Amino acid sequence: MSFLGQDEQIREYQFRFRYLYICLFIAFFILISRLWYLQVMNGDRFRQYSEDNRIKKVKITSPRGMIFDRNKKLLVDNRPAFDLEVTPQELYADKEWKKTITILSKMVKMPADEIIDTLERAKGQPNFRPIKIKQDLAQEEVAVVEAHKLELPGIGIQMEIKRTNLYGDLAAHLMGYIGEVNPTELPKLNKLIPPGGTPYNMGDVTGKFGLESRMESVLRGIDGEEYMEVDALGHRKKSSNKSITSSLKPKASLPGKNLILTIDQDLQVAAQQAREKLYGNKQIGAVIALNPKTGEILAALSQPSFDPTLFSRGVSTKLWSELLNNEYHPLRDKTIQDHYSPGSTFKSITAIAALEEKVIDENTTVNCTGSFRLGNRVYHCWNKHGHGVVNIRKAIKESCDVFFYRMGQRLGIDTIAKYANMLGLGHKTGVNLAHEEAGLIPTEEWKKRRFGQEWIAGETLSCAIGQSYILTTPLQLANAYAAISTGGYLWKPYIVKYIESPDGRILKEFQPELLSQAKISKSTLDIVRGGLTAVVNEPGGTTYGHRIPGIDAAGKTGSTQVIRLSADKIHTKCESMPFNVRDNGLFAAFAPPDDPTIAVAVIAEHSCHGGSGAAPIAMDVIKTYLQKYMPERYSDEAIKAKLKSGTLAKTVKAHLKAVEDDDEDAVRTNEINVEPNPAGPASPEDND
Amino acid sequence: MDEEQFKKFDWSLIFICIFIFAAGVTNLYSATYTEFVGRGLRFWQSQLIWFGLGSVVALVIMLVHYKMLSRVAYPIYFSNLILLALTLVVGKSTLGSRRWIGFGGFYIQPSEFMKLSAVLAMAKYFEAERVTSGYKLRELLLPSTMILVPVGLILLQPDLGTAMIVMLTFISMMLFIKIDKTSLMIVLIIFGTASYPVYRYALKPYQRQRLVSFMDPASDPKGSGYNSIQSRIAIGSGQLTGKGFKKGTQSQLNFLPEHHTDFIFAVFSEEWGFLGDLVLLALYIFFFVKSLNIAYVSHDKFGTLLALGIIMIFFWHVFINMGMVCGILPIVGVPLPFISYGGSSLITSLIGIAVLTNISNKRFMF
Repeated sequence: MSFLGQDEQIREYQFRFRYLYICLFIAFFILISRLWYLQVMNGDRFRQYSEDNRIKKVKITSPRGMIFDRNKKLLVDNRPAFDLEVTPQELYADKEWKKTITILSKMVKMPADEIIDTLERAKGQPNFRPIKIKQDLAQEEVAVVEAHKLELPGIGIQMEIKRTNLYGDLAAHLMGYIGEVNPTELPKLNKLIPPGGTPYNMGDVTGKFGLESRMESVLRGIDGEEYMEVDALGHRKKSSNKSITSSLKPKASLPGKNLILTIDQDLQVAAQQAREKLYGNKQIGAVIALNPKTGEILAALSQPSFDPTLFSRGVSTKLWSELLNNEYHPLRDKTIQDHYSPGSTFKSITAIAALEEKVIDENTTVNCTGSFRLGNRVYHCWNKHGHGVVNIRKAIKESCDVFFYRMGQRLGIDTIAKYANMLGLGHKTGVNLAHEEAGLIPTEEWKKRRFGQEWIAGETLSCAIGQSYILTTPLQLANAYAAISTGGYLWKPYIVKYIESPDGRILKEFQPELLSQAKISKSTLDIVRGGLTAVVNEPGGTTYGHRIPGIDAAGKTGSTQVIRLSADKIHTKCESMPFNVRDNGLFAAFAPPDDPTIAVAVIAEHSCHGGSGAAPIAMDVIKTYLQKYMPERYSDEAIKAKLKSGTLAKTVKAHLKAVEDDDEDAVRTNEINVEPNPAGPASPEDND
Repeated sequence: MDEEQFKKFDWSLIFICIFIFAAGVTNLYSATYTEFVGRGLRFWQSQLIWFGLGSVVALVIMLVHYKMLSRVAYPIYFSNLILLALTLVVGKSTLGSRRWIGFGGFYIQPSEFMKLSAVLAMAKYFEAERVTSGYKLRELLLPSTMILVPVGLILLQPDLGTAMIVMLTFISMMLFIKIDKTSLMIVLIIFGTASYPVYRYALKPYQRQRLVSFMDPASDPKGSGYNSIQSRIAIGSGQLTGKGFKKGTQSQLNFLPEHHTDFIFAVFSEEWGFLGDLVLLALYIFFFVKSLNIAYVSHDKFGTLLALGIIMIFFWHVFINMGMVCGILPIVGVPLPFISYGGSSLITSLIGIAVLTNISNKRFMF
């Protein structure tokens, strides 16, 4: 049955079988070698890869440190915020998802189209990942959504931590705000991490401004981490066997350290209330209060302001552009970032210079006729009728410009500058806050360097009354008055009293730092302080009408033009001018004059007068402070008793008289003046 | 089957296959015990049912003399060809290809059976041939056409893996029966020059992409290189002794794609490690050695060629599947016999075993 020759052929085939066996063994040898290479030689590496696949490290964000005032009143905290989230996978699984959205839109008062749009935009993401629909739900919204959760498939509420400023926009510039790390900050921040700290990643938050930024390394805690098992889609495996992850110990997060500030929140609230009483919502300016014996900052407000809470989870573009486009620069800290002409508040410095240089003494008099001629130019006193014969005390009290023109003429700019510098003007105070401006105290040499021009004698006159090139920040002004009040001790202002661990141990306490002691004789300071006391307490003083009976204070008003006026408008009533060209009102003060414990500087932009525009705010701050910390002298009972023993009737009468004639210390001049310029010192031009 | 026949019956292949299948179904259970095929059936249950059905078919084949197959070789071949053509027209379309054809609610893959039909047709064709000094190109024209027609139909589905298996099996058989040297050179040159145009124009973009990512899987680790990388991680992470039954994280957590079909060997390697792989490979080696012996000792040309063809089908399945899963070959959809899930593949494999056993048992009957 077999074919012819088939046997031969089969034998021939059988010979070829050896090749088949060889091929077979080569093939399996290749496979086994490969498996040996993968599993035995590189097994550890691949085991690690497979572990990396399934074990995800989840960050536990640590809460930031809290911020308290000096009396442990909580100012900045971490509070829960509730967000509405939609998981597309679950939402679309329901056929009636459109209805779900309609119901939802009513619950959270958000147009259904907007919700659908948000979901559309997130289409690229894996659909099991929840999408944030609305941030910061109101409590009622959370309640209603939670109550109907079962009828709303795919809808959830997510709790997140929101950095919350409990006082809203009060002292926002000081507290600052936080925001997400941006790519340019990332390397810088990571260089500054303290040992053991958590590296920054995109999506983390960091302080962007104010103390939040300045104290970032203190406030930021150390993030913890935990491990979870995930599948290829990133779903957490709930039923995963514990043994897999137990070798990887989770690490708890460590909260940031707390800051206890030198601030007394009661003073800030008092200042804010006083400002609101005067200006309502339209407040522009700054309030700063210091302890003259230590440099502790007691209050620091800048207006207009913003609520940092709105920044803590990403500021809306609408709010951001509003803040950027606001002509009064709400994002600038006016206490240190803006320059102002100090105006008549500078006269104290000119007075000190004149007394110290012995160009005058306590009894030297000048006759003020209402104007002063130098060369072919006339320099006006704010009181066009003149103050008559004035000595230094009366000149300070009534803010006589002509007296200080003369002092300027006798002293020269460089001598005035010497004393201004001694009191901390013209250079940064060194306070631990960002973007502090140095101010400007001109000298002859400075002008040559800056403009290549010779100093003009007339400019000295303007400088002597705090106008012209002179620029100070409110903080410098307060610190200068603090130094005057305490005998020339110039302290470095500071804001953080101590740093506390999350469990309440004091980790680091900040000590006062004496910058210098101005070499000014006691007799000089006594004379000037006497004048400043008279400003507030004696009839005819420029703040007499705004003093608070029983509250002892000493201070100096100032008002400065913000634009140059033509000669015929010099005596125009300030209030009749458009708001933005009205004078700025200033007041710098300390209290009580015999034993100063607080120094205050207030600037109220476009308020026309230092006396009525700025002094009442300072006086309220001073009153609050004295009543709180010196109750034996200034409690309501103590004041009542004091006033009863004094001559109350006389005080009231004097008060009425004072109201008629004070409060007009604005010297109107067509001499150069400088507007607060956000870009730095303005370049004033000389005229005539 | 009388007593003597029963005593002489060659059980070896059957036992080896039962061992491999047992490992396979256990492994399938581990890979898919949480999933359902459909109709309330688990994958491993469905696989067992297929095994039962396949065994019945195999039994029937073992009961007839394999020489009967020689008589029906061409009818089987042509019916299969018609089925293949029908598949292209009325086949069920899944994932962009038409591979399935239904008979009253029950689907088969004609391309799977074509592997066997083609081998059968070749064995039949060359049984009658008398050439001993090497076949010339002209003499190979007809058998080549007989192979290229079904290969073309399979490529149209498209099912590159199966087409490749049929092609490689044919080539291996041709090399075995000896091709004239010059003819071989000509064929090699034609293949060499044709490869680029084929790569450029005949392959689908995803197939080209697979080749690129085979050369450099890291070029697209989340896309075309993903399968290859995850599969290598699964195998490597099994290390020497494996992660243990049902503990392969790569497959259990779905990092490994197609973990019940083409990539099932990675599941096995992950859970049983290098030692487990050695056992499995040893079973396969044992299987091949035993089968080659059957072909070797077969007393007629048809039996030898048929056995050889079936061995080649198995060999290329095992080698290509394992090679691609452990990253030494590009990714081609080829199942691993007895291990991968799939009814048509399992039944085809069982038929193959039945034919081989049949050849082995009938060799003394002359």
